Amino acid sequence: MAKAKIKFADVNVTVTVPVGTRIIEISEKVGSYIAYNCREGDCGSCFFTVLDGADHLSRPSALEKNTLFAHFQSILDGWRGAGDIESLQAMMRRENFAGKECRLACQTQVFGDATVSPL
Amino acid sequence: MSTRNEVLEPITVTDRVHWIGAFDPKMRTFDVILKTPNGTTYNAYLVRGSEGVAVIDTVKAETADQFFTRLEAVARYDEIRVIVLNHLEPDHSGALPELMRRAPQAALYISEAAQLMLKALLNNSDIAYTPVTTNDRVNLGDRTLRFLNTPYLHWPDTQCTYLEEEGVLFSGDVFGCHYCDEQVFNDCVGDFRFSFEYYYAHIMRPFKQYVLNALALIEPLEIRLIAPTHGPILRDHPRYYVERYREMSTPHLHLEIDHGIKTMIIFYISSYGNTMHMAEAIRDGAAEIGGFRISLYDLEGGEVEPFVDLVEEADAILVGSPTINGDAVKPVWDLLSSFAKINVKGKVAGAFGSYGWSGEAVRMIEDRLRGLKMRVPAGGLRVKLIPSPGELENCRDYGRDVGSFLIGKPRAREIDMSQLPAG
Repeated sequence: MAKAKIKFADVNVTVTVPVGTRIIEISEKVGSYIAYNCREGDCGSCFFTVLDGADHLSRPSALEKNTLFAHFQSILDGWRGAGDIESLQAMMRRENFAGKECRLACQTQVFGDATVSPL
Repeated sequence: MSTRNEVLEPITVTDRVHWIGAFDPKMRTFDVILKTPNGTTYNAYLVRGSEGVAVIDTVKAETADQFFTRLEAVARYDEIRVIVLNHLEPDHSGALPELMRRAPQAALYISEAAQLMLKALLNNSDIAYTPVTTNDRVNLGDRTLRFLNTPYLHWPDTQCTYLEEEGVLFSGDVFGCHYCDEQVFNDCVGDFRFSFEYYYAHIMRPFKQYVLNALALIEPLEIRLIAPTHGPILRDHPRYYVERYREMSTPHLHLEIDHGIKTMIIFYISSYGNTMHMAEAIRDGAAEIGGFRISLYDLEGGEVEPFVDLVEEADAILVGSPTINGDAVKPVWDLLSSFAKINVKGKVAGAFGSYGWSGEAVRMIEDRLRGLKMRVPAGGLRVKLIPSPGELENCRDYGRDVGSFLIGKPRAREIDMSQLPAG
């Protein structure tokens, strides 16, 4: 089975995982400080930042996009002009708010080497 | 002589404020977790302004008759313009549906976080209400109610309401206690200090940071009297209770002996000394990293409560247990089950232990620690029976690992997913 290396920067742990593993399956077990609540993509608790290798992670599903978008829309008053996740992320990058990319750990799958960190 | 309980009289608090609550002297266990040897009170209040009346909180449904009888003695239902619920728990919202039926013209004011709860509690999505937050005001003519948003004391919805002209703080469960004495005022009732402290310890303690946030809003107020939803009305030295809340909510270790130094605690229990030897080796390894203090405690040598106090102010907690009949031992579970009384979220934690046959204890403890949202670095340490010199070195290395993690310089590690616990 194909493998990939996912590094959790806050705990300095790199885990070799089978391709397709979700971040949530690993992050708690290595003590990374990504918070969880519903674990189903709904609540928007398990945000994390992709520091490197964003292209090696699964693309956000419609559910994840909606949750991310709803969450940021509710907390970033006045930023409601962003109509989709790409432009929202572009705005976040511009404002240096959420680092390079913000995702949900319960939804994101690892397809290749990447480095992540709690938001 | 008849008691107030029998005649159901309201009690004058100030010339504009009446107590219209209920006595429940037979209550012995509250909310599963709290004991009370003389019952409790559900305090509700009526405020009279030149242009209408406000009712602040109601009572538990079973005691609604007391509430309505007392209310009727001081006001007519058609005078009620305002109903405020500072907290939606059923012991304060129980008489709300009937009150709104009798006073349909009254406007209901609740915190923003209370909105969804209101619907779930009353199973009625048609109730009209106005959500309010800090410094929103409601005018009763010559009297003004001001709201303070004080969430998580002890539910997300909790708020306080301040009657500006009288200096009366309707504090909800904050500053309350389960203590039933029909003399009602703190200078007239029996010595209720034990109950005040006990209530804080079981209800407010897990939310200390929220208490401090709330005190930042409460302390600047001119307070003549605190009117909580349970127990005595605090008219004599009300400031004392505010100060006591600040004292109890302030972390003391860091004020008294600390200069930003972190604390690691290693708890263990050991039947043949093997888990103890592991604990000592872990301590030695952690001490090599240095920069924080380390304490080693045998669970057999102490009671749970003082240990919980230590955990509350510690930054890292390691727990060592042997495995007996496929489980961690009872003193360990007694300690871990008590963590619910405090806030341990985000603290560093880990588990270790020696075992004879199967060694399930370490993983079970780790699951509990993770369940409490503590940060458990990978790889709790298990040793079969007597630790060898090599295994003791593994223990020291585990100590170095957790120590490095604690001081924010985690050592780089590469592991395979198969080395992580399953599930």
